[in-house]
Amino acid sequence: MVRHSPVTGRYVTIEVDGKEYKVFYLHNGSGQPLICQHTAGAHNHQWRGLLEDEEFTSQYNIIAYDLPRHGKSDPPHNTEWWKEEYRLTAEHYVNFIVKLCDALELKDPIFMGSSFGGNVALQLALRRPERFKAVIPVEAADYAPGFFLDWWRHPHANAAQVCASGVWDLMAPQSPDMDRWLTWHYYSQGSEAFRGDLYFYSVDHDLRDELQNIDGRRCPVVMMTGTYDYLTPPEATENTARQIRGGVYIEMEEIGHFPMSENHEVFRIYLREALRIIKERTG
Amino acid sequence: MAVDVKTWASKFKNLTDNDETIQCMGKYYTCRFMYDMQDRKVIVEMHDGKVKHINTDPQPLDPYDFALRASPQTWREFAKPIPKPMFHGIFAASFCEDLKLEGNLMVLMQNLRNFTVQFELLRKCGVPV
Repeated sequence: MVRHSPVTGRYVTIEVDGKEYKVFYLHNGSGQPLICQHTAGAHNHQWRGLLEDEEFTSQYNIIAYDLPRHGKSDPPHNTEWWKEEYRLTAEHYVNFIVKLCDALELKDPIFMGSSFGGNVALQLALRRPERFKAVIPVEAADYAPGFFLDWWRHPHANAAQVCASGVWDLMAPQSPDMDRWLTWHYYSQGSEAFRGDLYFYSVDHDLRDELQNIDGRRCPVVMMTGTYDYLTPPEATENTARQIRGGVYIEMEEIGHFPMSENHEVFRIYLREALRIIKERTG
Repeated sequence: MAVDVKTWASKFKNLTDNDETIQCMGKYYTCRFMYDMQDRKVIVEMHDGKVKHINTDPQPLDPYDFALRASPQTWREFAKPIPKPMFHGIFAASFCEDLKLEGNLMVLMQNLRNFTVQFELLRKCGVPV
């Protein structure tokens, strides 16, 4: 008996700011588009639980892509990317997501991302509110300094293990061992991109003076953060949501910075509530 | 009441030396680090994933590569079976609580996988403060 998953993978080629990307994405479900961004230095397997969760796939067209340089999405094929340091900027990140949504012909998608994916969700709500039905920034804040570090790719240490174990205690001790170690495994694969991602996360992303320009009534913003997240502690997210017109904050108990990957069973409870709020506000 | 430091050292060594997650990749896990709990300090010497020696009465010039320094209250939180948020790891506590990571942090980074696994063994053996 063959045990195929209903999740399928495809590649789509897009051009963003002159860079040609062959983007890999996983897909399952039908209905309202829900596009999902993984965390820095990781890839779309972080959404493995959601992608096979029938409660959500029965109502949502769920797409989880690999950002270029992560998982199965290569660096750009039309540039000599190995000759320059990778530093992700807010502008390029936003442009990439919008181009991908355009290429996949997603109508009024809900964007959800965690960590640096959560921070870019705020950027989308600020810069492109007309393109998204709503955003769900998970483990996000207006500003998240302190993680753009040389340790992530220092040649004198095992960068794979430094990245994987360096984010270990971003997860809650209550999360299942298997899921925490799978998340560790993903992080052991992305060390070369991790630091460049964190340039966006900790340096280029700074919305401390911009939150009043996000209109959560036009593009609802439902923020969720786990109580074990030390990098974006609950109070940082709550403080951010409070400054956004119509912003919503949901605190997730006994979970950390990678909720969809470290404990989908807990995460899904809060996601259900976030999507209910969005439905209520957008019809 | 805090466990006696020599009893603690024996438990910590036994847990480390028999931990499958450490031992399956224990080769080269070789370094010396201090747990500084203010009221009590210990220097743990690791060799290829095994505890070679635990110095339970370190003197001022006894060498080590790096140190973790925090208040006894913080160490007691580390040792709870399920620590409360921000006491559940060395980065969490250094970002949000009073833990200081000092010394040659390169050695810590070179051994980070096994060090973090071993640190969580405190949840099983407690701390001597």
